[in-house]
Amino acid sequence: MKKLLILCIALNLSLLTSCEEDDKANVNEEQTLVDTPDNKEEVSETNGVQLINKEIINIPAPQTGGRGVPIGGEFTKFDFETGIVTTSETDWDIAFRGTTIALNGGEVTGTNDEPARNGNVEVSVVNGTFESVKSTKDLKFEKDGNGAFGIPTGSNNGWYNYNPATNIILAIPGKIFIFKTRKGNYVKVEFLSYYQDQDNTKEGRFYSFNYVLNQKIGSTSLAK
Amino acid sequence: MSLNKNKILIYFFFFCLQAIFGQEKEEAVKDSISPQQLEEVIITGTRTQRQLSSLPLPASIISKKKIQQIGAIRLNKVLEEQTGIVLVADESGFEGIQIQGLESEYILILIDGVPLPRGGNAGNFDLKRIAIGNIKQVEIVKGASSSLYGSEALGGVVNIITEVPKTIKPSGNVSYRIGTFTQQDFNINVSQKFKKVSYSLFSNRFSSKGYDLNPEDNFGPTVNPFENYTFGSKLYVTLSKNIDVASSIRTFNEYLDRTVFVNNTNFGVNGRTKEWLSHTRVNHKIGLNLKAEYEFYVTRFKAIEEVNAPQNIADLTNSNFNNFIARPEIRSTYTLNNSRFTTGVGYKYNQLKRTNIDTPKSFNSQYIYAQYDTNLLGFLNVIVGGRFDNHSEYNYQLSPKIALRYKLTKSLAFKGSVGTGFRAPNFRQLFLDFTNTSVGYTVLGYNVAENKLQDLQDLGEIDRVTVSKEILDKNLKAETSISYNAGFTFHTKALKTEINFFRNDIKNLIDTQIIARKTNGQNVFSYKNFDEIYTTGFEVNGSYNITKNFTASGGYQLLYAFNKENQERIKNKEVFARDAITKKTVAVTKSKYFGLVNRSRHNANIKLFYDWRKAKANFNLRVLYRSKYAQFDTNGNNLIDDYDTSFVNGFYTLNTAITKTFFNDFNLQVGANNLLDYTANLLPTLPGIQTYIKLNYKF
Repeated sequence: MKKLLILCIALNLSLLTSCEEDDKANVNEEQTLVDTPDNKEEVSETNGVQLINKEIINIPAPQTGGRGVPIGGEFTKFDFETGIVTTSETDWDIAFRGTTIALNGGEVTGTNDEPARNGNVEVSVVNGTFESVKSTKDLKFEKDGNGAFGIPTGSNNGWYNYNPATNIILAIPGKIFIFKTRKGNYVKVEFLSYYQDQDNTKEGRFYSFNYVLNQKIGSTSLAK
Repeated sequence: MSLNKNKILIYFFFFCLQAIFGQEKEEAVKDSISPQQLEEVIITGTRTQRQLSSLPLPASIISKKKIQQIGAIRLNKVLEEQTGIVLVADESGFEGIQIQGLESEYILILIDGVPLPRGGNAGNFDLKRIAIGNIKQVEIVKGASSSLYGSEALGGVVNIITEVPKTIKPSGNVSYRIGTFTQQDFNINVSQKFKKVSYSLFSNRFSSKGYDLNPEDNFGPTVNPFENYTFGSKLYVTLSKNIDVASSIRTFNEYLDRTVFVNNTNFGVNGRTKEWLSHTRVNHKIGLNLKAEYEFYVTRFKAIEEVNAPQNIADLTNSNFNNFIARPEIRSTYTLNNSRFTTGVGYKYNQLKRTNIDTPKSFNSQYIYAQYDTNLLGFLNVIVGGRFDNHSEYNYQLSPKIALRYKLTKSLAFKGSVGTGFRAPNFRQLFLDFTNTSVGYTVLGYNVAENKLQDLQDLGEIDRVTVSKEILDKNLKAETSISYNAGFTFHTKALKTEINFFRNDIKNLIDTQIIARKTNGQNVFSYKNFDEIYTTGFEVNGSYNITKNFTASGGYQLLYAFNKENQERIKNKEVFARDAITKKTVAVTKSKYFGLVNRSRHNANIKLFYDWRKAKANFNLRVLYRSKYAQFDTNGNNLIDDYDTSFVNGFYTLNTAITKTFFNDFNLQVGANNLLDYTANLLPTLPGIQTYIKLNYKF
């Protein structure tokens, strides 16, 4: 990390922008995709609506290429209903590769090694604290397709923000993502970190996030 | 390259020998007891000689004597101890100046009234570059001064005034100083004044072995070893009763070799900076009341970096920067009774050849300015002025200014001024064409963006353009400011105090924006006017002669510096922060918004100067305080708030120096900077205590 930082400073004499998305590129591609035992789960029930609150830690999202070479590599697929990473071609909601997040809804965008879409997952973004998002009413949802991801890529466009001064990718605080899962349930997600153990000095391409899932199909409530 | 270096070294030694032995026969001139302090005269505020105390602008002078007493040898050290001036290191470690909360890019640095080339590709004006062994004083005028100086004079103007020869006997000095990190400074000055001709010669070698604050890492030293040479020569000729000419040449050469660690291998990079500046001024008395000055100034700044590596090492490329400026200017001053009318007209040619800009690019600008300085009723001084700048690449600028000083009592006066400043887009912002070969992103200057983008599209490298064509069709505007200053001065024989309230509103700040997305997943950036910021606060200064030999002074600046758009977003509850410990997201409230990076709320200094005449010695102690500031956003919301973790806590620096005179002509100085040994990981420019010893021979 620091190595790259210094390199960037030394080499890109003229520029303020540097090395985006190239942080800690040396992720071990053979990482086994297992659910981390640290993940916490809480269930609360009010008026027959069951909300499942989960904290997911260290979902690896390796990618190949970068540094001028076309980006590729399998996306890491995640299932909100089970709360674990899956290799299933169909039973997934969102998938991660580097800083890119794909939805199992809409069309392929055209990037390499993209998973086929066979669900109807949609996403919407709300500004606020995690707790403040209470309902999905009146939200407008997007899917992947038309050459773009439902969660826009690039710094400050979607879920993260890249700081050229530190060469670090940070989840934008206050961006809450509401997904409609392939089963039709609503879930709100807050991304926490892009680094292993939520530590900016460790390896990148590890997602940690909180989510609250309402398992009652069609129910728009996302808080007690 | 090393040949060149040797040549310069040899030249330097010959010069030294000449200076030392050439003057052997001369009898040492005795330094009489320091002459009665004359009223300080400043030229920067109005481009005419004005008493500092009567100037209606916030201004100050740092005298040669003070500079010598505090043991400063480069401009950065002189400026950093002044109230309200903060030095901020950029990514290259260049220390830039911040005045009234405005950073290096918005401060104009002049030498004898003409701009020193800014140098380098980006980042700060490196103040360490400027040797100050031959100067008379440093003048600082705060607040916008574009009405006289045009572009870049938003936060203030620093003008280095060089020494003028005074005696028919050659006078000057030779000095050597050595300090921590083998920092060596060797200085020679000679000047002589004949009836119609006078000259001065200045020569300086400065070097350091550098230092490494993190020896265990692979990235080499924090500050690389370097050596540099500054030569200055000045010739004054009186051609007739009414015409005299002053001509000067200044050169600067620096060698900085470093190693770069790429792919687990160290590569050598040879850095070389070559700079020269030639400045000729003809002073012409046309009549009893009318004076004219014809000035021609040319400068070139070259920086080269050569990589000693086999071909095709990604990331490592030679770089080249070559900036040439030529500027003729004619000024005239008409004096009548209590008024002075100053006008000026000039033309500036500015050319740049550099890596990542296709062909040499040039700017042509013409300008005209006028200023009316009048004293009314014996107690009111009013200055009204303005400047018009026409430019080949962006819209013309009109910069008015008004200032007044109202004398309330013999010792109390009110000062106030309103002025505008601007900063033209630079070559990089207009013409850059840079693609980072390792990562793959591209940065395009505004004026070339549309065509270059088309080229990239034709090559199939563009996935999608994210801005509309119309945006790129408009002109990039100059950054502009309005600056307000108002305050009081209270002067008695022993006590001098002043207070100045300031506010600077800047709009159209130029920053990068994403204009397209590439097929490799990276972005294409260009530039855009968007942000609006302001800086406001006040500055207090006081100096008191406790006894004839003992002076105490102090200063304080309060500063608020914010981005207006961010304040608006915070007001609308659109900004959030993640608490670093609880990881909880909270809304950033107004009180949690800290403001712009690198701005400290409080700056203060206390200085004691003691002149021990009996022992022919002087002693000083200076304490500087800078309150906490943040360096960058750490929690993803693109602004500095109390939840960020890049804060440098408030700290004190204690500097001291003792000078003792021997045998009338020799001075021995011992000094220490940062005696409290303050260090912080984030501050590569403060590597612990730095001591030095200096021997100076004056003739």
